[in-house]
Amino acid sequence: MNRTTPALLLALTASVLLGTGCKKEQPAEAPAEAKAPAKGTVKLVYVNWAEGVAMTHLAKAILEDRMGYQVELTMADVAPVFTALAGGDSDAFLDAWLPLTHKEYMERFQGKVEDLGTNYEGARIGLVVPSYVKASSISDLQAMKGELDGQIVGIDSGAGIMSTTEKALEAYKLDIKLMTSSGPAMAATLQDAIKRERPVVVTGWKPHWKFARWDLKFLDDPKGVYGGAESIHTLTRLGLEKDKPEVAAFLRSFKLDDQQLGGLMGAVADTKGDPSQAVREWMKQNAALVDGWLPKS
Amino acid sequence: MDLHIGDVFERLIDGLKDRFDPFFHATADGLTTAIRGLEGLLLLAPSYVLIGLVAAASWRLSGIGSAALSGLGLLLIDAMGLWQATMETLALVLSSALVSLMLGIPLGILASYNRWLARGLRPLLDSMQTMPAFVYLIPAVLFFRLGKVPGVVATVIFAMPPAVRLTQLGIQQVPRDVVEAAVAFGSTPRQLLWHVQLPIALPTLLAGVNQTLMLSLSMVVISAMIGAGGLGEQVLKGITQLRIGLGFESGIAVVILAIVLDRLTNALGQPRSRPT
Repeated sequence: MNRTTPALLLALTASVLLGTGCKKEQPAEAPAEAKAPAKGTVKLVYVNWAEGVAMTHLAKAILEDRMGYQVELTMADVAPVFTALAGGDSDAFLDAWLPLTHKEYMERFQGKVEDLGTNYEGARIGLVVPSYVKASSISDLQAMKGELDGQIVGIDSGAGIMSTTEKALEAYKLDIKLMTSSGPAMAATLQDAIKRERPVVVTGWKPHWKFARWDLKFLDDPKGVYGGAESIHTLTRLGLEKDKPEVAAFLRSFKLDDQQLGGLMGAVADTKGDPSQAVREWMKQNAALVDGWLPKS
Repeated sequence: MDLHIGDVFERLIDGLKDRFDPFFHATADGLTTAIRGLEGLLLLAPSYVLIGLVAAASWRLSGIGSAALSGLGLLLIDAMGLWQATMETLALVLSSALVSLMLGIPLGILASYNRWLARGLRPLLDSMQTMPAFVYLIPAVLFFRLGKVPGVVATVIFAMPPAVRLTQLGIQQVPRDVVEAAVAFGSTPRQLLWHVQLPIALPTLLAGVNQTLMLSLSMVVISAMIGAGGLGEQVLKGITQLRIGLGFESGIAVVILAIVLDRLTNALGQPRSRPT
């Protein structure tokens, strides 16, 4: 016990000396005004979903290189992310799926988070199968029950897509079980089925890297249980518009279309480690688009 | 009969948040500074300096085999490009273990003296070890904001019990005749504790330290779900995108870190004849 005290004192002294840890991911080419005092720190939170990783790192690079802010990124699971926004501890989250997937969170934190509108339209959720599967509509599934082992492979039990799929099973009178698993487990099952060319049905959404990796298709939903397309929204804590109007203005105009987001996600997926190189490369190639997002000063 | 104790829990959390928010935030800020400082300290020197130091310590404490194993393992981590993430995790684990021991060892000593306290603690320790961590993750985020601190809090809840239990056990196992002899020679309770009971209980106590460290390491992935970063975040990135290789590399880095810490703390409990 008395041997740990010096260690703690040492850590505290060191922390005072060093201020913060040496956690600096230096961009390869620091902007000219890198040494100028930053206008402040923007705290972005993201969940480890491919489109969010790509968009959040892009927003970070723009805020740092073009607008002179410091950006602190934090990765967490989706429930903690909403909790942090509602508590005012984080500034923005660029990966909220509305109106359906994150409906429960939006209802729960109503009036505690600010919705700046969409940053990507045409996201979609539904049931996904490999393209070699003969079925083309959800209503075809009952006939394939045997081949599918009577199950649809789902993700985490709390996700919006799960309760919607339960509704779909009822609406189409399917005597099939929805298996609760997790994103990675669902993807692994899909990969395994594709390797063996076996039929499989998973709960799926787009944009997602699985569509880049395999040849997949959504099953038609004639009853419209899964609703129309989903959109991805940018959410902020309350009051960001007031104390960082520039940042809020940029986040408001930050929008990507299908092709742009696809290209960005592809570039990020190809890098092994930190995405900041890839997004800066992408910024160069899409300079006009990026310029359009910057607030007019 | 319809009873939902969950509602009470929810109200309790909200009430605590409203009442003690400034205190929680101050705690969070202080802890964050300390953890960041430790991180900075670990990353201050180039990696091979630290690897050399660890290898030297292992050699001194538990021989050449351990030194080679620790050194090579850490070199592998460095070669896989996971040094920064590993040091982040190490800072988090050491901070969590330190907090666990600062709370756990005194509690264990008190429990060894007071049978009622020991009885009262048991169900609490049981629930700390078995309550699924996801249940208290969100309250931890509510209180301490996203980041390293709720990670430390969640880890302490999980990793503290063995420190309490093994401290208590160690002191209770001190032979009664030894205690009686010390008392007969007129030692004060304080002398009895510091010069008789703790030294004899030391191996058991250090087993508690070792267990606390190991359990802290098993929380790294769960901590990453609330923004703690480090190797846990790398593991999550690997598995959620089916990059089995990345997940495996980060997982192996956790194992290597565990082996290094295990060797160091285990050796402390069994002093070898010192090489001269």
